[in-house]
Amino acid sequence: MAPKFQIKVFQLSRFVKNFTIISVVTLSFLLVFFSKTDYYLISGIKNLSSSVIIPITRFISAPANVFSNFIDEYNQFRSLKFENKILQEEIIRLKKWQTLAIQNSRENKVLKKLLNATDNNLILVKTASLINRNDTIYSKLINLNAGYDENIKINMSAINERGLVGKVIDTTSNNSRVILLTDPNLSISVKSISDGIFSLLSGNGDGKYLVSSFVKENKMPRLGDIVVTSGTAQIFPVDLLVGKVAKVEKNRFFVLPFVDFRNIDYVQIVTSK
Amino acid sequence: MEFSKFFNSTIKLNIILIISFSISVNSFILVPNINNSFYVLFHLTFIYILFYHYHYYLYLVALVYGILFDILLLNNIGAHILTFLSLLMLFVLLRKYLIRLSSFQIIFIYFITLIVLFFIEQFLANLIHNYKFNISSIYNFSLIALIIFIPSVFLLTKLDN
Repeated sequence: MAPKFQIKVFQLSRFVKNFTIISVVTLSFLLVFFSKTDYYLISGIKNLSSSVIIPITRFISAPANVFSNFIDEYNQFRSLKFENKILQEEIIRLKKWQTLAIQNSRENKVLKKLLNATDNNLILVKTASLINRNDTIYSKLINLNAGYDENIKINMSAINERGLVGKVIDTTSNNSRVILLTDPNLSISVKSISDGIFSLLSGNGDGKYLVSSFVKENKMPRLGDIVVTSGTAQIFPVDLLVGKVAKVEKNRFFVLPFVDFRNIDYVQIVTSK
Repeated sequence: MEFSKFFNSTIKLNIILIISFSISVNSFILVPNINNSFYVLFHLTFIYILFYHYHYYLYLVALVYGILFDILLLNNIGAHILTFLSLLMLFVLLRKYLIRLSSFQIIFIYFITLIVLFFIEQFLANLIHNYKFNISSIYNFSLIALIIFIPSVFLLTKLDN
């Protein structure tokens, strides 16, 4: 009886192992297929990863976070004297600008009344804070603490006080994921303010500059020109600040975004009126 | 000593996998190389477990980490999961040849496998999700791998007794 029993156990175990391998491989191919076609299953997995896995990984990586903060504080301490000098010079400069701005603001109010113009073309959906970011390896993504329960939908724009931050690419009940402007896989249609030159911009891969992938009629904007969203692709609202032309080459130009992507704490999710 | 008593080498190596995964998916903007280094360390550890502690449970490990890496870094499932599972199946096919190799040859293959993994991940991300092929990130990972390879293998071997 004993040898017979052993053979049975061996066969069963081998069967289970082979079955597990085949199941795992089949499941992985199905998941790859579903990630392209199905919405609910993949959305469920993403929901689970946002609500369960991200908090766990944040907890585990807390010591690395402490180390990163320590380096930040050390760097800040080192540059304290230099920054103080710059700030004093900036205060003097800003005081002059403030006087001018107050005058312009009064003038602007009067002109708006004359034109019967509205203030802007945006609807604020939600102000959300950043909970985690995955913008070092592969895509440049940030995760926010608000999702479709707060009416955030895919393709809505994320902005902050400096300008356009990115686009919502995924939402779960309480979280949403935003792809940053600096991602090479995101293209935005923009126009330059002074010349009205239309072009497409995408991330340069270095995380700093945006590079033109298409320029209408090959007209290059001037150095220092401000670029804003053109609104032609119907994804981003029109006239959102993007950046400043920093370098012009023969067939392309580089834009330095206004948003400091290293220091994003809060973003506003907006949509067109 | 107490640590060694309670955890066998497989558990220790899996703890390294969890820690390196957690750190690599949480960006540290001021020191971005922390993420890259732990991303490389994850791959190093995974290959180490595969070479020296092959077990069927690694298919489940590859499935789980593959899905999580894909969702958290690419927002689409594909590149990592397929790379990890392909590596596992390739290893099973070539295991009988690997056993015959010397330790130096094994280490060499270990390093080459690591670099090829990064390349395949980028290639699959490009193929499946139209992700822009970023050769500079492969250079970056390769450079980090070159720097941390020997210390990491030393550490893993020490943990492995």
